[in-house]
Amino acid sequence: MNAITIAWLLLPLLVAFLAALLPVVARSGVLLTCLGTAAMALAAHQSWLPTSLQLLGVLGITLRPDGLAAPFLLLNALVCAAVLLDGWRRPQSEAWPLLLLVLHGCVNSAIVAADLISIYVALEVVGIAAFLLLVLGGRRQQVWLGLRLMLVSNTVMLLFLIGCGLLYLEQRSFALEATGQAGGLVLALLAVALLTKAEVFVAGLWLPRTNAEGPLEVSALLSGTVVSAGVVPLLRISAEATSLLPVLRWLGIASAAAGVLLALLEPDLRRLLAWSTLAQMGLVVILPAVGGLYALGHGLAKAALFLLARHIPDPALAGWRQRPLAPRLWWPLMLASLSIAGLPPLLGFLAKEQLSSQLPGAAGWLVTALGAGTVAVYARIWAPPAPQQSDADAGASPPASTGATVLVGALVLLSVSPWVLPLWTAMAPDALAGAMLKSGLVFAAGLMLHHLLTAPGFAAASAPASATASAPALGPAAPIPAPPWRPQLEGLDELLGAIVLLGAVLVGLLGWQP
Amino acid sequence: MTAFRVLELLVLLAVLAGLVALLRHRNLFLKVLAMDVTSTAVISLFVLIAARDGLITPILHGDTPAVDPQAALTYADPIPQAVILTAIVIGFSVQALLLLATTLLAGRDPTLDVAELDQPEAAGSRAGQR
Repeated sequence: MNAITIAWLLLPLLVAFLAALLPVVARSGVLLTCLGTAAMALAAHQSWLPTSLQLLGVLGITLRPDGLAAPFLLLNALVCAAVLLDGWRRPQSEAWPLLLLVLHGCVNSAIVAADLISIYVALEVVGIAAFLLLVLGGRRQQVWLGLRLMLVSNTVMLLFLIGCGLLYLEQRSFALEATGQAGGLVLALLAVALLTKAEVFVAGLWLPRTNAEGPLEVSALLSGTVVSAGVVPLLRISAEATSLLPVLRWLGIASAAAGVLLALLEPDLRRLLAWSTLAQMGLVVILPAVGGLYALGHGLAKAALFLLARHIPDPALAGWRQRPLAPRLWWPLMLASLSIAGLPPLLGFLAKEQLSSQLPGAAGWLVTALGAGTVAVYARIWAPPAPQQSDADAGASPPASTGATVLVGALVLLSVSPWVLPLWTAMAPDALAGAMLKSGLVFAAGLMLHHLLTAPGFAAASAPASATASAPALGPAAPIPAPPWRPQLEGLDELLGAIVLLGAVLVGLLGWQP
Repeated sequence: MTAFRVLELLVLLAVLAGLVALLRHRNLFLKVLAMDVTSTAVISLFVLIAARDGLITPILHGDTPAVDPQAALTYADPIPQAVILTAIVIGFSVQALLLLATTLLAGRDPTLDVAELDQPEAAGSRAGQR
């Protein structure tokens, strides 16, 4: 089995090489690779593979294709395939499928790697691939966004490397198990790097602008798969180092609260989705046991929403109800957002229920309360669909998004698939009924909050009506300016400052033991 | 305080200096250079860790008999050296990409002022639309 695992890890890079020589095979190569990853995800889920793989001796590379990795691998396979299918008919740069392959392969490596140096290398290559995907269009703004992302990510990876060095000094090992006895400084350095990659709390502030002004298919990749490259190592470390777990729990809840609050005040659809990613990733890192399922449900839905946002000409949320969507866009949008909001029986409901029932004490209630906030966030984009058009008009309406349809289909199928069926059957009938009732109450509270916020008196405080509605969409629409009273927190200096502050707070919380 | 501690402190000070420069400079090019200072400091940290126990290059010659354990302690540790080689290559390529992107941006806006670059061009294009 070891040979199969190694061959699977190398496959995306080999296909990328081949596709560079023979561009014809590039797209089918991506699909083949994604199929391979999905098969590996299934094998890891069913424990057909050895859960730990040691290559090149004790100090060498450790791979763990285990149950924790399985949902993230499936997510990576589905999102990459969907993004490729979505852009199948559009003319694209020849480098696009190559970079997608490299990104896919390195996210795979980061998910299964279980020693810090392999994780470092995989994360750096993921960062480089994401940078190149962002700047592929070559517009000035894209180059700046990519450069910002790369500067931030390379800075935190240097902190990660210092953490690795200090860990080796203490424990003479780079293995993840060694972090169990590591000092507070080492854990803080590793955690701040991974939190930035996972887009949690203030370390994820780079996300909204990158998502709103960059190409939306790259946003789908960032919110869908690139985050898992940061989340999985973080979950693995928090499983080893018990002192990190309570810190991560409160950071995650803080991230969720901040994300929901900022999403409620956001005038731009794409930035709303980005703030919601910040909130949901906070909930993913709270509990390693449920993190995989939660990330799978969220990643599929969020990538679908970003792919759908491509087809929505005006991203302004002001006057959203006056611009009803064609049914073929409306259905996936509703299903994906209802899943994130946690409507039974979609995957998001199951993940939320597992999370709040397994969390002890006040944290569980806080998570439930934040669920109501999430409902209020997505209630902003729930509106009745446009009436069915006649066949003559149908040609003029925007085409369906293939990728989003694939992702939402996968989401719905997964909710009832054998993959998660044991979780459904494990719930006692009265527990299930209680969860349904709770979810109903959360939806009612969320919708009430939405109505309160959209009441005429309050709405006047939000952004003025959009001026872009009249302008035809030429390429990506310009970002909607935030209301002037909002502090500007997303400049490069603020990003770097926020990361340094977060690092200092983590060192303070975890204890300074050099 | 041993020589190792002093050197370790100096290296960490260099890391700090790089980070402070990264935060303080307004010019993008200087920010990229500051990141390079941090990167070099991290590399020297690993070199220092490798040389903690001994300084002899950890290479055995052809048919040297197995060294006795006492002498083995005076060899440098090859593991951090091997690891940092990878990191040097990655750091170098990231630096190259960052400088390339900086050059592209400098073609349009030679001042490379970060606050200026953070103003989205959308402000201009939106003004054009009105």
